[in-house]
Formats: sequence, C-alpha cells, structure tokens
Amino acid sequence: MTFLQLARRNTWRKPIRSLLLMVCVAVAFLIYGLTASFTSGTQSAVGASDDILGVMNAAGRAQPLPMAHMARIASAPGIASVAYMSRLRGFVDNERNVVAVSAVDPGLLIAVNGSELGLTPELIAPLGKARDRVLVGRALAEAQGWSVGDHINVTAFQVAREDGSRDWRFEIAGIFAGESPSSDTYFMIARYDYINAARARDRDTADAFIVRPRRSVPSSELAARIDALFANSVAPTRTQSEKQFLEAFLRQYADVGLIVDLVVGAAFVTLLMIVINTMVFAVRERTFEFGVLKSLGFSRTSILSLVLTETLFIFVIGGGIGLALAKLATLFAPPTLGLVFSLSILVKAAAIMLALGLATGALPAVNAMRISITAALKTR
Amino acid sequence: MTDSTKDEAYIALKNVRKSYKIGIEPIPIFSGLDLTIPRSDFVAVMGPSGSGKSTLLNMLAGIDLPDAGELRIGGNRLDRMGETARSAWRAHNMGIVFQFYNLLPMLNAAENVELPLLLKPLSARERRVRVGKVLDLVGLSGREKQYPAMMSGGQQQRIGIARAIVADPELLLCDEPTGDLDRKSADEILDMLRFLNRELGKTVVMVTHDPQAALYARRTLHLDKGSFVEENRAA
Ligand SMILES: Nc1ncnc2c1ncn2[C@@H]1O[C@H](COP(=O)(O)OP(=O)(O)OP(=O)(O)O)[C@@H](O)[C@H]1O
Ligand SMILES: [Mg+2]
Repeated sequence: MTFLQLARRNTWRKPIRSLLLMVCVAVAFLIYGLTASFTSGTQSAVGASDDILGVMNAAGRAQPLPMAHMARIASAPGIASVAYMSRLRGFVDNERNVVAVSAVDPGLLIAVNGSELGLTPELIAPLGKARDRVLVGRALAEAQGWSVGDHINVTAFQVAREDGSRDWRFEIAGIFAGESPSSDTYFMIARYDYINAARARDRDTADAFIVRPRRSVPSSELAARIDALFANSVAPTRTQSEKQFLEAFLRQYADVGLIVDLVVGAAFVTLLMIVINTMVFAVRERTFEFGVLKSLGFSRTSILSLVLTETLFIFVIGGGIGLALAKLATLFAPPTLGLVFSLSILVKAAAIMLALGLATGALPAVNAMRISITAALKTR
Repeated sequence: MTDSTKDEAYIALKNVRKSYKIGIEPIPIFSGLDLTIPRSDFVAVMGPSGSGKSTLLNMLAGIDLPDAGELRIGGNRLDRMGETARSAWRAHNMGIVFQFYNLLPMLNAAENVELPLLLKPLSARERRVRVGKVLDLVGLSGREKQYPAMMSGGQQQRIGIARAIVADPELLLCDEPTGDLDRKSADEILDMLRFLNRELGKTVVMVTHDPQAALYARRTLHLDKGSFVEENRAA
C-alpha cells in the first residue's frame, strides 16, 4: 500500500457517492470540452490568420470598393501579394440552407491565401476549363453531400443576373480541405470573371481586397498605411487582419465567447459547491479515522494531502471521462458544427481540473487537518 | 547500562498541571503530577474512572499537552514541541494500542499494520517484510488479507499491537488494551506485552482497570484525585 492507494481506498469507501461525484465532474467537463471545441472550431476566429489583411469599405461590409483600388494597394511598399474578392451569399434548395460563394481570381488567391485554404496549382487548374466551375470547401461538401462533377444551383439573396434571375449554376471542379481542421472551409470559390460579367449591378467592384504583407512587415502597420492611401478617396477603406475581422463579425451577433464562458463558469461553480459539500461531510464522517491516523504519527500536512489527493482523484477520473466523451463527440459531430478539440483545450482542461480539485479539496482538507486527536478519538 | 541516572528518567513528568474547561470553570485533573519511568520498564496505571489515566497516556503520546510543567521523554521536551514535531516524534518513537483497537475498516490486516510505515522512507518490499514479521510475532500470519470486521476482538487487538510495534518504537502505550476482551484473549494479549517488554526491551505503559492485567507489569501506579497514591512493585 502507498499513500496514493490509501487516498484511493478512501475514495471508494462509498462507491455510489464517489461515482455520482465523478458523473457531476464528467458532465461539467463534457460541457467544457464541447463548448471549447465549438469556440475553437470554425465558429471562432482562433483558426483565422493574424497575418493576412482584408481591405473593406469603411462605410460597411456591404458596400463594395472600386476595382481601381487594386493597383494602388499593390503598389504600396511592404506588400507581398494582393487578391480581390466579391462575395455572393445565397441558398441551395431551401432558404435555410445558406451557402457563401467567394468570387476570386484563383491565380491571385493562391498567392495570397493558398496555403491557409489548402489550394494547390493542380487543384485550381480545372477552374480554367469553364467559367462556371467552382472549388468547394470540404466542410461544405461533406455537409451537402456534394462531390466533384456535381452541378449545383445557388439562389443569391442579393446578387441578381442581368436577366433578373438570381439563380447561379456551378459545376464542382474540386474540393479544398484547408490547412488544418480549424480552417473555415464552409464556403466555395468561384471565378470572379464569371460572376462579374453576369451580374446586373456593382460590376468591376470588389467586396474586399486580400493582402499578404511581406515577411518582415508588421500587419498592423501595413493596415494603417493602406487605410491612409484611401483616406481622402471616394471610397475610404478599413483594413483588418482576418482574425480581427472574424472576431468583430462574431461579436456583431453576440459575444459568443462570453456566453460560453458564463455557461461553463456556472457549471463549474455548481460543481464546486456539490463537491465541497459532499467532501466536507465525508471528512466529518471520518473524523475518528483521521484522529487514529494522527495518533499514529500522520502529520497535519499528510492529512491535508490525503484529502486533497482524494478530491483530485475524483476530478481526474471524472474530468478524464468528460473530456474523452467531448473528444468522441467532436469526432462524430457533423462538420458544419466545426468542433475542434485541440491540444490547447486539453491542456487548459487539465489545468482547470487541477485547480478545481485543489479548490474543492481545500476546505474539507483543512477541516481534516485541524481535527483534534483527543476529540476525534472520543467520537468513536 | 552506563548512565543509570539518564536511564532512570526515560520518561519524566515534573509538576505537570492539566485541567479541562467545562463551561467557564476549569476542572483540574492534575495539579502538580510527578512521574519517572526508566527505560524498559513495564508500568500499569490503575485508578477510578475519570481519574485522568487516559489524559496521562495521551500526554505521554504527545497527542495532549500539559498546561504547565515538564514532559520529557527520551531527552525530548514534548511540552515544548509544536504539533508537527510531535507527530514526527510519534511516528518514530512510540506505538499506541487502544481499548477498541481503532483499526481502519477499509484496510485489511496487513494494510492496517503497514500504516505507520508509510511515514518512513522504506521501499514497498521492506514494508512487506516488516509487516510479515510483526504479524508472525502476534501469531496472525496467513491473515494478511482479512478485514477487521471479520476478526474477533482478540485478533483485532493483536493487529493493533502489530501496528503499534511495526515501526519498532521504544515506547509502547496501551489504554485498556484488554478492556474489551474475555479472560483468555486478554491473557494472550498481556503475554504478548510482557514478551515485548522482557525480550525486546520496550518500555510499556498500560492503563487498566483489571487487577489481573496489572500483575503482568513490573509495577503498578494507582492514580486518584490527580496524583499517584501508591505503588506496588512486582516480585
Ligand atoms: N476533552 C476534554 N474536555 C473536557 N473534559 C475532559 C476532556 N477529556 C477528559 N476530560 C475529563 O477529564 C477527566 C479525566 O478523563 P480521562 O479520560 O483521563 O479519565 P480516565 O481515568 O481515563 O477514565 P476512564 O477510566 O473512564 O477511561 C474526566 O473527568 C473527563 O471528564
Ligand atoms: Mg480512559
């Protein structure tokens, strides 16, 4: 027997009670694991790049910028490459099945953003064969059940064709996977020249220019420089990193992170109360035994660590189960949810587990530590 | 033994005062108790209920402290030690045997005996060897895996003794070790204590109500109204 085994033996004194506590801990960490996977996935800005800049109209995202901006941005010092993009939002089959189409020059896009999107020259080559060809992101393709060669029809919300119709037909020429599982791939890439030639309004404009700064150039500095270029033009710009943009975009609807933190925080606080309460009672029940241990020469510190080990044990087992379930859920969840159970979530969860284990153990452990031997031995 | 004066006072209490507060009134238990016990003595302490026998034993174990006076055991001033120092002292210098055995119910016989060894820097192997040895000594080898609830009182008390001596302490304190046992089991336990005193040289202080038990000791102290009133020396 070791000290650790002694603590473990105490944990299993009341198996049902310990199991229930572990279930509580498991549920809390399952909630944590899922929500953290959610915010770290495509729904959040975590996977977004800090380097790449997006230049948009200062008057609002819905306002396009003249294509003439392109040349002036490209000539600014510190820029490695620039691409332009028009965004077309619409739906497939029914109005709730929303998809986004980015209309670009694939050759320019690959230079700016190719590695993040997982674009290769071989992948974009088939786009050259016909103007209505598109590349579909893997998350979108999997969610819709599309494969290469399929013909799809996107009904745009805004962008109408010259003939008044809002239906755009595309042929899927390939599927791009993104650089990592957290890359946003729930959209498709179409040819700008196709959409630009056919649309009724806003011809020869772009919704955004995408800029990759040169290696040594800080992106925030470059952003300020670009905005200065157009400060007095008819269409002033607002330049942000992709990450800043996404964060601002998410905050528009609600501070998702804050809500998640509140939910998870509430779960953890409840957990804290339950475990503290249970452990305080467990220690009180065993007052006599702690008295015996102390009479044998167990010090205050060893009694303290005995109880702390016991609560940590409950948290490590319960938390481990909860996180394993969360990981399992991310494996089986549909890709549209964009759950990513990253290593950093695991590390953070382990830290929380440790902190909560110690925090909940503290009060009962101090109680046990302070038990007077003579009084404890009388409780028999 | 070269230094007999030092040995004479392995345990020395000088002018020990102890009282308990019940309400506001402090009730004195000892008001100036003196006691010396030489090394390797076997002392029985008798006296009416409430005379302070357990209080005395608890002070000798370092789990209770005198209000005033000196409490010296083997050169250590227990009354001047902090709680942490006293638990370390307990772990290394004394074993304690209780009337109701005080075994931990979730541990089997071997694990109960092993408990004090967790406080020592021993390997699992060394611990196992030592536990085996003392279980053999108390005649319970082969019952390592048995839980206290499955044992008779006499067997449980033997486990209690094994636990008290497993760390090989010099001092053995017993508070009515046979108080809950039938005559036959009691005599077995008392034989064991006598063996530990005579053959292994342990200093034994035993509180008892049983005059027959006291006969096993080398001498008997009678405690009444806070002081020792008489002393019988065994022949
Ligand atoms: N923690 C305490 N608080 C208050 N009074 C106490 C406490 N412990 C002991 N006493 C009192 O001190 C006196 C001596 O108690 P002690 O337990 O030492 O007696 P004892 O001689 O062992 O008696 P018994 O033979 O019944 O075991 C008793 O009157 C008891 O009520
Ligand atoms: Mg008593």
